[in-house]
Amino acid sequence: MGEFRFLLNGKVVTVKAPPCYTLLEVLRYVLRMTGTKEGCARGDCGECTVLLDGEPVHACLTVMTQVEGRSVTTIEGIDPQHPLVRAFVEAGAVQCGHCTPGLIISSYALLSRNPSPTEEEVREAIRGNLCRCTGYSKIVRAVLSAAGV
Amino acid sequence: MTSKSSYVGAPVVRRDAFEKATGTAMYASDLFPDDFLWVSVLRSRYPHAHIRRIDTAKARLHAGVVAVLTHEDVPVNRFGVFVKDRPVLCDDRVRYIGDPVALVAAETREAALEAVKMIEVDYEELPAVTDPISALRADSPKVHEGGNVCRQTSLRFGDVEGAFARADVVVEGTYTTGTQIHAFLETEAGISYLDEKGRVVVVAGGQSPHRDRAEIAHALNLPPERVRVITPYVGGAFGGKDDVTVQIHLALVTMKTGRPARLVLSREESMLSGTKRHPAIIKMRTAASRDGRLLANEVEIVYDTGAYAALGPAVLDVAIENCNGPYRISSAKIDAYLVYTNNMVASAFRGFGAPQVMFAMERQIDRIARRIGIDPIELRLINAIRKGDVYVFGNRMEGSVGIYDCLRIAREHPLWRERRSGEGLEYPWLRRGVGVAAGMKGYTIGALPDRGSVSVELRRDGSIAVSGSFTEIGQGVVESVAQLTAELFKVPVGKVHVLFADTERSPDTSVTSASRQIFLAGNALRKAFEEVVERVRDLIELDTGRRPTGVTFTEEGVVAGADEVIPLGELAERLESRGLGRTVIGTYEVPKVEPIAGTLEIPHLFFMFGVTIAEVIVNVLTGSVTVPRVVAVIDAGRVINPINFTGQIEGAVVQGLGYALMEEAKIVNGYLQTKDLSTYLIPSSKDAPEIEVIPVESYEEEGPFGAKGIGEVGILSVAPAVVNAVAEACGVEPTSIPLTPEKLYWLLKEVGVVDKIRGAGGRLE
Repeated sequence: MGEFRFLLNGKVVTVKAPPCYTLLEVLRYVLRMTGTKEGCARGDCGECTVLLDGEPVHACLTVMTQVEGRSVTTIEGIDPQHPLVRAFVEAGAVQCGHCTPGLIISSYALLSRNPSPTEEEVREAIRGNLCRCTGYSKIVRAVLSAAGV
Repeated sequence: MTSKSSYVGAPVVRRDAFEKATGTAMYASDLFPDDFLWVSVLRSRYPHAHIRRIDTAKARLHAGVVAVLTHEDVPVNRFGVFVKDRPVLCDDRVRYIGDPVALVAAETREAALEAVKMIEVDYEELPAVTDPISALRADSPKVHEGGNVCRQTSLRFGDVEGAFARADVVVEGTYTTGTQIHAFLETEAGISYLDEKGRVVVVAGGQSPHRDRAEIAHALNLPPERVRVITPYVGGAFGGKDDVTVQIHLALVTMKTGRPARLVLSREESMLSGTKRHPAIIKMRTAASRDGRLLANEVEIVYDTGAYAALGPAVLDVAIENCNGPYRISSAKIDAYLVYTNNMVASAFRGFGAPQVMFAMERQIDRIARRIGIDPIELRLINAIRKGDVYVFGNRMEGSVGIYDCLRIAREHPLWRERRSGEGLEYPWLRRGVGVAAGMKGYTIGALPDRGSVSVELRRDGSIAVSGSFTEIGQGVVESVAQLTAELFKVPVGKVHVLFADTERSPDTSVTSASRQIFLAGNALRKAFEEVVERVRDLIELDTGRRPTGVTFTEEGVVAGADEVIPLGELAERLESRGLGRTVIGTYEVPKVEPIAGTLEIPHLFFMFGVTIAEVIVNVLTGSVTVPRVVAVIDAGRVINPINFTGQIEGAVVQGLGYALMEEAKIVNGYLQTKDLSTYLIPSSKDAPEIEVIPVESYEEEGPFGAKGIGEVGILSVAPAVVNAVAEACGVEPTSIPLTPEKLYWLLKEVGVVDKIRGAGGRLE
């Protein structure tokens, strides 16, 4: 077992886990924080996107040694009143909802570095987040609306 | 009070969106019951093999392993909705590479995954048959003892030979469509446990809790009452969770060990063992007159159902029923085969057999239009069926038929009207084209018995609780049911509680498939409402001695007889205290006619229709196709929630684009090569076009508030519209989807387009 200390949604946590574990395995299987979803566990679908020091990463491709001493933000760390959450809900961007937490994290990262993105920039920023239900139109609209664009 | 609708047609924000967006919504894969066992599945290594022996000794001895289960542990080892041909765990043979052979239940995830590799299976590889045409040959290896023809149907209507003899134009083609994988984002997942009464409870992603319960009970040889199935929010289904997936395996582990269990398939397992859209080979010969009347259709349909029948027999029926398109054709000859092979199992997928034949028929229609020299929409309008028409099988189209209006709107749409006036493209190797296609499919399950019940409880706090076994697979049925309830009882939608998909608590609203739940649950709700009205009459009669005739629900409460207004909470209280009860059950049975001889569910009485217009840009040097714009004109009946409606259609359009252009499951000799989402590509935000959805609200008299099914209609005509656009753009006639760059490149090369551009490009330098 390895022991890992990092900031999780602003709080210091210490986690014991097999050293080969990924951040996704720690979040879901050790901490049982299930807001971060698993869609493929190999970096293809973007469902498990979290912020590592503010940058969006696949939790399934991030091993725990990379997380040691750094700051992780998951969907549980996003203010439920955040404009992105409201925009996703109101625009109808949520259907089955399994991809939604990852999409909100990717969009959050986009708006942090680019508060007024174009539609093209939104589509580019979420291209790694697969959604099988919506056809993406309402998701793109939600992100633009949260940005006030 | 006002009789105008306040909730039907309103863009109500769905109640599950917030919890899903904040990550608090619980899916089956998010559940970890106390003291549970991790379950792992050993699957076949071969497309076809005899199992000589399974040695589980080493796996059993592995630290942390609690149980290793094989076919010997399964009381009744065959399941399936139409044909009980599918083993829970393989006994004598494996028939495809995802076939489950053994289960390991262990204290840790690692132990379960390691122990699975320690099971030794002595296989004797058998010759595999992996294409349906070879499978139909007499000397082919047999997938099942009864042979490889799972189902065969031949139908003849009208004077086909005569029609071909008098035809001015005959167009013939052989079309092939690929194996589409559902690729829902949440893989097949569930947990199980024993409750305090000794019942086995399975909480799993699915589409039909009551039918899943029946399948579990059958396999475990238990009375259905000993099994409870709960379906929480499902992370996508699209038909891929219509059959049993993890449910029987979970129940088996829990019954054998007495322990809770958890089984969530990996993406690769999901791709291998999950059902698929039937790959198809469709031969069509279509006859038309010079003035554009369709006269006859001769169709041969071959659907590869893979190793087991699953829902294939019904899928084949839907293919047969829709292969003539939404047109008046007086004669048809249809020979359809559902064939067993050693490929992965095919079953339900949005459209349920219709998208394949729609691709063939709508390509035929465009080719006929070109031959006659008529606008493709005009040709479709000349032949479009109308309400009251008798369709080719002799069935009268009694429900709403909006295809004519869809086509008229498509004809006037700027994307279509200005299809040839697009400004010049940036590079000489780009070609622009606009294509159109129509689609149809029955909703509900046609001539098969189809009924559904919901319960309505009037609560003493003035709210209403509705319950049914419909599942929330993303489509938004929960909010729509709440809206219909709010509309009927004139209560704010926030005062409607919806409890869904629990065999112990919700009445059987049957399967969430065939675009049927709004129609079924909505109509059952109407019956329940009528029942409540009767209870109100009983109450007033008990209290006053007079039975009121008029009973009206208003925002203030129910008005019955005298001018007294009884608020809903008080009504509940009074019904309770008078012993009349405040919970009712409404049951709706879908009207149906006798099935046509030789079919299960043909004809349906209720159909949905739609037209897709697609714009494509083709790079003739690479064969790649981009789709900037799609217009979907959809006969939706009355739209209950415009957000959910457009959401369903936009999603279906993009799934249809994947089917048309990208989603290529590469299967070599029964082995799937594309086992993940980086090799099996589904559309991303960069592939998705700008989509305009136009509803044609053809009021359906039998539907709740005029509504009809919408879940599948959006996908039906996407692939043919895209391919028709490519044909228009480049002068090629593709017959196969997905139309990958490679396939298109060779077609373009054949007609000389590639070399011409290369030459022109040289000159432009």
